[in-house]
Amino acid sequence: MPARHSFSSMMAPAMIVLALALSLAALPVAAQPAGTLLVGLVAEPVNLDPAQVTDLNSNRVGRRVVETLVTFPDESTQIVPGLAESWTISKDGLQYTFKLRSGVKFHDGTPLNAEAVKFSIERQINTEHPAYRLGKYPFANFFFGNVKAVEVLSPERVAFLLKDPRASFLAVLTAGAASIVSPTAVMKWGPDYPSHPVGTGPFRFASWDRGQRVVLEKNPTYWKYPAKLERVIYRPIVEDQARLTELLTGGLDLIVGVPADFVSQLEQNPKVSVLKQTGAHVWYLGINNQKKPFDDKRVRQALNYAVNKDAIVRDVLKGTGSLSKGPVLPGTWGADAGLKAYPYDPEKAKRLLAEAGYPNGFTTTMWVPESGSGMQAPVAMSTVMQSNLKAVGVNVTLQTMEWGAYLTKLRSKEQELFALSWMAGNEDPDMVMYPLLHSSQWTPVGPNRAQYKNARFDDLLQQARVTTDQAKRAALYREAQRILVDDAPWVFVDHEIQIAAFAKRVQGFKLHPSFDLRVETISLK
Amino acid sequence: MRSYLARRLLLLVPVLVGVSVVVFLVLHLSPGDPAEIMLGSQATQEDLARLRRELGLTEPLYVQYLHWVTHVARGDLGRSLWMKRPVLDEVLNRYKATLVLTASGLLLSTLGGIVLGVTSAVRPHSLLDRASAVTSLFGASMPVFWLGIVLMVIFSLWLGWLPASGMWAPYGGGDLRDLLAHLILPAVTLAAASLTIIARLTRSTMLDILSQDYIRTARAKGLVEGRVVFRHGLKNALIPIVTVVGVQAGYLLGGAVLTETVFAWPGVGLLMVQGILARDFPLVQGCVLVIALTFVLINLAVDLLYAYLDPRIQYE
Repeated sequence: MPARHSFSSMMAPAMIVLALALSLAALPVAAQPAGTLLVGLVAEPVNLDPAQVTDLNSNRVGRRVVETLVTFPDESTQIVPGLAESWTISKDGLQYTFKLRSGVKFHDGTPLNAEAVKFSIERQINTEHPAYRLGKYPFANFFFGNVKAVEVLSPERVAFLLKDPRASFLAVLTAGAASIVSPTAVMKWGPDYPSHPVGTGPFRFASWDRGQRVVLEKNPTYWKYPAKLERVIYRPIVEDQARLTELLTGGLDLIVGVPADFVSQLEQNPKVSVLKQTGAHVWYLGINNQKKPFDDKRVRQALNYAVNKDAIVRDVLKGTGSLSKGPVLPGTWGADAGLKAYPYDPEKAKRLLAEAGYPNGFTTTMWVPESGSGMQAPVAMSTVMQSNLKAVGVNVTLQTMEWGAYLTKLRSKEQELFALSWMAGNEDPDMVMYPLLHSSQWTPVGPNRAQYKNARFDDLLQQARVTTDQAKRAALYREAQRILVDDAPWVFVDHEIQIAAFAKRVQGFKLHPSFDLRVETISLK
Repeated sequence: MRSYLARRLLLLVPVLVGVSVVVFLVLHLSPGDPAEIMLGSQATQEDLARLRRELGLTEPLYVQYLHWVTHVARGDLGRSLWMKRPVLDEVLNRYKATLVLTASGLLLSTLGGIVLGVTSAVRPHSLLDRASAVTSLFGASMPVFWLGIVLMVIFSLWLGWLPASGMWAPYGGGDLRDLLAHLILPAVTLAAASLTIIARLTRSTMLDILSQDYIRTARAKGLVEGRVVFRHGLKNALIPIVTVVGVQAGYLLGGAVLTETVFAWPGVGLLMVQGILARDFPLVQGCVLVIALTFVLINLAVDLLYAYLDPRIQYE
C-alpha cells in the first residue's frame, strides 16, 4: 500500500528533529575552573546579611563574608579571638571591652574600627540609628536586648555596656547577628545590602544568580590566612535525589544535610567520603509540667522510661542523631559527664504510673510539627513515641501541624506533650537552659514551653549567669543538670548528627558543631 | 474582531482582581504566621511583636489588602518579606526560566501528542496503538515529581547522559547546547501527562473524523493517504485539540511548580514554593498574579486561534 507508506515518511521529519535535538544536547562537558568548589545547599539563602536571617543556609553562605569579634576554632565551640585580639570583662560583669585587630580592612577598603563595631550592633537595637530602618533584625532582642550601649573608646577599642550581667555574652557575640559589617556598604546599598554583603571574611561576595548560584571569591588579603580555594559556588537544590545525583556525577563537590536514608548508600560509594559531627542541638518531647497528670514528677519520669530512644535513633534517624541525656551537648565544658540517660524500661514506667495513681494509664495529646528547622523527622519520631507510650497505658492522640501554626499554638499554656528542638549554635549552657527551662521564661513571654519551675534550678542558673569564672559556672550547671534530669520536664531524645558527603578531591574539610559550614579549611586535590 | 479583543483584554481586570482577592485570602487565612516562621522556636515575644508590626501584619486584613492592591495598581508588587528584594524584579527575573520550561513542555506535549494520536488513529489496534494506550495510562497516572526522579536516576545517575538539575552548567557561562541538555529532563517530565491526554484526544477525534463520508470521498478521489489524514482529517480535528492544549497550558504552568522544585529549575514555581514555605505573602501574591496573567493570555490566544482554524467561527 503506497499510500500508507507515504504517511510514515511524513512522520519521519518529526523523528529526525527529535533525534537531532537529543544528540545536540547530549553530554555537555563544562570546563572546570581551577580552585572552584561546588557546594550543594538544601535551599537557597534568603539573604546574605546574617543579622537579618534565621535559616542555616543563609548563615552558612553569609558567614563566609563577615566575621565576629570572638569566634570558634575549626573543630569546637570554645571561644577564641576573632576580629578582637583580646578583651576584658569588668568586675561587675557589665562592661565588655574589646581590643580590635589592627590593619584589618573590609572587602570594600573601609577600615575595621570601633565605629564599625558600634554601627553593626546598634543598627539592630537603636531605633534612632540611620541603618535601623534599612533592615529587619529578627533576633535583635534575643541577642542584644541586654545591651545598653556600644561605646567607642578609641579607633581600636570598643566597649559593650550591658543592662544586667550575663556570663554568656561572649557566646552571644559569636552569633551571626553579631557579625561586623562594613558601614560604608550598608549605607551605600540601603535595603539591598543583604544582596551585596561586605565584611572582612576569608571570602568576598562576587555574584548571585537567583535560584541558581551564589558565588564567593577568595579574599586575597584575609588577615588570618588566604583561603586555598579561588572560588566557592553554592547551588540551591531542594530535591534530595537531585542533590545526591549531582554529587555523584560531578555537578557538586560537597553536600550537607544528607537524608538519613542515603547515608549508608553513600558510605559504600568509593567516589565520595562521608563525615559526621554531632551538632549543638537538642531534640526533646516537651511535657507541660503544670498540667495534670504531668505535674507529678513520677509521671514525667515514667514517660522517660517508656520511650525507646535507642530505637528512635537507630531505626528512624539511622545514625543521624546521638542519644541525649539532657539539654547540654556532651563533651562541652558545661555538660555533666556523670548524667545517666533514662533507660528503656516499660515495666518501671508502669510501676511509676501506678504509684502516681494512674495504674490504667491516661489519655493525652501530643502536638507535632510536620517539619521545621532542626526538627529532623518529627512525625516518624513522634509515632514511635506514641506506640511506646501506648504500651504503658498512655493513649496519645497525635496532632500534626504546619510549623508556623505550631509555633503560634505553642505560645500558650494549653500544650500537654509537644515535640521540639533547639539549635544554640554555641556551647554555653546559658543559651539553652535559661531560655528553655528558667521559670522567668514561661510562655508566652519566653520559650519555656514546658512551664518548668524549680526554685533551686532557677537559682543555680541565675548564679551561673552572673559568675564569670568558667570552672565555677560549670559546677553550677552540672548541679542544675542533675536536678533537671531527675525532674524530667522533657523526654530527652537526641542531639542531631550532621552529615556531609563530598568528592574525593575535597581535602581538609571539617564539619563544625555549631552547624556552620567552613569551606575556608578546604583545599582541592 | 478588534472590539472583541478589547473586550477580552478589559475582562482581564476583574479576573485579576478576583485572583488577587482569592490568593490574598487563602494566604492570610491559612495557618502560619510569617513572623513566627521567620523567627523560629527561639523568638522572644518582643521580637515577634516588633517584627509583626514592621511587616504590617497587625493591620486589619482589608487594610492590608487595599494597601497592597493600590501599590500593585501602580506597578509596585512590594518587597519580599524574607529576601527583602522588590517582588517584581524577583518574579520577572525568574519568569524567563518558567517560560522556557513551560513552552518547551507545551511544544513537546502538543507535537508528541498529535504525532502519537494520529499514528494510533491511522492504525487502530495495531501494536503501536496499544503501546501508546499503555504508555498514556502510565504517563497520566504518574505523579510529576516521581517521574522526574525516575528519569533523573536513569539518565543522569546511571547513564550519565544528562545533567540532573539546574538550567545552566554549575560553573556558569553555558551556551544553547548547555541549556538544551538541562532542559530535556524537566521538559519531558512536565510534558508527559499532557502529552498522553493530547494523544488520547487526538486519537479519538481522528478516529471519528476518519470514518466520515467526506474522508471516504477524499480517498475515492485518489488522494494520497497522507494528504487525506493531515489536510482533511487533522485540520478538522484541531478545534478540540487546541481547546485541550489551552487547558493543558494552565496545567503545565501549575506542574512547573513541582518540576522546577525537583530539577532545581530557577523559575517562578520554585520561587513560589520558597515563598509559601516562608509565608512570604507579597512574594507569593506576585508569583500567582504573573502566572494567572499568563494563563489568561494563553486562553485568549486559543480563542483567537479558533477563527483561524474554522472560518465559520466569528467574534463579535
